[in-house]
Amino acid sequence: MLFSSIPFLYYFLPIVLMIYAITPRIFKNTVLLLSSLIFYAWGEPIYVFLMIATIGLVYIMGLLIERFKGTVWSKIFLVISILTSLAALGYFKYADFFITNFNRITGLSIPLLRLVLPIGISFYTFQTLSYTVDVYRGNVAAQKNPINLAAYVALFPQLIAGPIVRYSDIETQLVSRTHSFDKIASGTRRFIIGLSKKIILANSLGELSDAFISSGDKSVLFFWLFAFCYMLQIYFDFSGYSDMAIGLGKLLGFEFMENFNYPFISSSITEFWRRWHISLGSWFRDYVYIPLGGNRVKKARLLFNIFVVWFLTGFWHGAEWNFIIWGLYFGVLLTIEKFFVLKHLEKHKFLSHIYVIFFVAISFVIFSANNLTDAISYVGGMFGIGVPFASFEWTYYLKSYGLIILIAAISSTPLPKNVLSHLYQKVWFKKIWDVIEIPLLIVLLLISTAYLADGSFNPFLYFRF
Amino acid sequence: MNKDLKNLMFTIVFALLILGISVSCWLKPETAFSESERRALASLPHLSLSTVFSGEFTEGFEEYTTDQFPLRDRFRTLKALFSTKLLGKMDNNKLYVQDGHISKIEYPENPEMITYAIDRFDNIFNKYLKNTSVKTYLSIVPDKNYFLAPQKGYLSINYPEFIENFKSNLPYMEYIDLIPLLSVDDYYRTDSHWKQENIQDVAEWLGNQMGTDVSAQYKVNTLGIPFNGVYSGQSALPFAPDTIKYLTSETLDACTVTYFDTGLPKQGEFYNMEKAQGKDPYEMYLSGTSPLITIENPTAKSSKELILFRDSFGSSIAPLLAEGYKKITVVDIRYIQSDFLGNFIEFDNQDVLFLYSTTLLNNSMAMR
Repeated sequence: MLFSSIPFLYYFLPIVLMIYAITPRIFKNTVLLLSSLIFYAWGEPIYVFLMIATIGLVYIMGLLIERFKGTVWSKIFLVISILTSLAALGYFKYADFFITNFNRITGLSIPLLRLVLPIGISFYTFQTLSYTVDVYRGNVAAQKNPINLAAYVALFPQLIAGPIVRYSDIETQLVSRTHSFDKIASGTRRFIIGLSKKIILANSLGELSDAFISSGDKSVLFFWLFAFCYMLQIYFDFSGYSDMAIGLGKLLGFEFMENFNYPFISSSITEFWRRWHISLGSWFRDYVYIPLGGNRVKKARLLFNIFVVWFLTGFWHGAEWNFIIWGLYFGVLLTIEKFFVLKHLEKHKFLSHIYVIFFVAISFVIFSANNLTDAISYVGGMFGIGVPFASFEWTYYLKSYGLIILIAAISSTPLPKNVLSHLYQKVWFKKIWDVIEIPLLIVLLLISTAYLADGSFNPFLYFRF
Repeated sequence: MNKDLKNLMFTIVFALLILGISVSCWLKPETAFSESERRALASLPHLSLSTVFSGEFTEGFEEYTTDQFPLRDRFRTLKALFSTKLLGKMDNNKLYVQDGHISKIEYPENPEMITYAIDRFDNIFNKYLKNTSVKTYLSIVPDKNYFLAPQKGYLSINYPEFIENFKSNLPYMEYIDLIPLLSVDDYYRTDSHWKQENIQDVAEWLGNQMGTDVSAQYKVNTLGIPFNGVYSGQSALPFAPDTIKYLTSETLDACTVTYFDTGLPKQGEFYNMEKAQGKDPYEMYLSGTSPLITIENPTAKSSKELILFRDSFGSSIAPLLAEGYKKITVVDIRYIQSDFLGNFIEFDNQDVLFLYSTTLLNNSMAMR
């Protein structure tokens, strides 16, 4: 089920919130678990059993890891837990990728499995991995109550698209969390803003992206228009979804980590990745990069560590070579920055921003492609290979979407928030804002609903991850 | 305002709003048909273990909740106005407003569909017309974009190339160019079709090019029913309705119109007043969709016959050609397999006119 859908907004959510509100504290996690299973089963009626099995295994392994702490058995159970989680992810997500490439190399024609990817498997696998590793490291105690652990893994606000909430971050919240009008108001605000970002901005930009992909009239300018548009689309799509997840979390009394922090204002790729999909970046840092030795190793090993992390980051996003290239592309840029240009970038802020936007735009063009061949052709198109400089279509789409792109570009910076915060310091504005904020949010909710009722274009890019 | 009070208000307002909409969703009676969009709406899918596990139920439920959403048409209007007026989008779901008209972007050219239409025509020619003394004509009616799109750069097909494609691939058909006779005012503001009262000159030109005088004096009648054309509902924009007018004459009154639908042939009128009050009043012309119609004129100016292959644009112009022909056979190959035409029509010495709109030719999959 998508947050940005009528069944979720006006059927599932009101019922769940009402039941949750009247349920005694002791049973709240049970309500959360059951509603999360229904939420997941709505889109994945079969794979919900896979998720339940994964939770069961992780629960037992967590207990065993803790029970045999300090012995070799603890490590064995950890390895079993990690391997089974990765095996499930590998089987469902990567089997056909490996078969295709094996066939290519050997000339064999082993039939593809053509499995449907269980929604959210990449996200909940990383959550369960972090849980067992943290139990092994002694950072957290194994969860004795299976309902609490299952509620953590299956928690519907973050189940299918993150943020990748670590068990350590909400361990205490699972057993004692506060509910307040302040949290409800702040969660509602965050949810509606996220919903609007997703439906009004991301979906509108998505229409342009789709029009570009199916266009037979591509040109250099159209490629660049698409690149900027897609970059903004994916940002508003994913950060909007994260906002909704964080907002829903607040409504249920949780505090999830932030997942985006205005990534497009970065002045280096290094900074960009500190601001983009923060929960994924920090996960790879803590569970892959640092265990490999992190920075405190020789240069060759450091390079190896960087490229392993970025290979995996790319591969996590999708079982296609273009995703791997996308990850390695960032690996190369980050390496160059680390060894050569980071200091210079900090001195030339304006040029640094252009540099970041330029390379990030190219990266998302690679990301948007269906495969490596398309990715190469798209990047070539950006530099005039095989396409004219301008075309009839790009002028139309620029005119038609110009204002949306401008609004999206401004909204992707902290400018609106800073202006609002600045004005909020003034007594007269604070009075006005206190009166108009609720009507404004109602209008945003109704407009978002209007887009849904119209049955407009409503994809969700991170569903495939 | 006190922060706690504001938070309390926040909670109450949004709880009531979401709950209110939710209750409306549950309580709203199911609507079977959308008059504005002219389509059947999704109904509640059957709930069973098999439909749940196949995903059929959830998919159907999402469609159902979207289609049956309370005040859906109002919400569609809100979305259309917001996206075009505030966000500056030039079209909403491919529909745009220009010069007081609503039009639908017909873009890009669909080479497969164009080739398919050419193949269909070619097939009919080779099967029925090649070894006869019939004269074959082709005429293409431009959609409204021809007139409206260039003004602000809306996407539209390349009309000269589009028409040339048909002309060059069907060289045995004499092409009759209608474009100089048409302007956007000859079309309804809210619909894709042309207005019968404005195309008398088009009919005369077609007759003239086929060597037949079809000129006549008509009485212009006004249908007293507001006509919200197909684009009006699709666009969801507030738009004043059109007026349908229809032409009558003594000659037309004397004609016999026979409809060959399923079952026995039925005699009827040029203008179906029952359909005029239906979902699409434009269907009053020759009763809308019909595979085969004959128009027999006992007082025709000539003894010639015409076979008119047509789409819906042909419905309103066919009566205006009746003056000059003893018999007109109106064929719509979307509703009859062209391979079976020989069972109903004897092709020998008639004029044969293929009269089609660019919209249908670019989306010709329904031709059989």
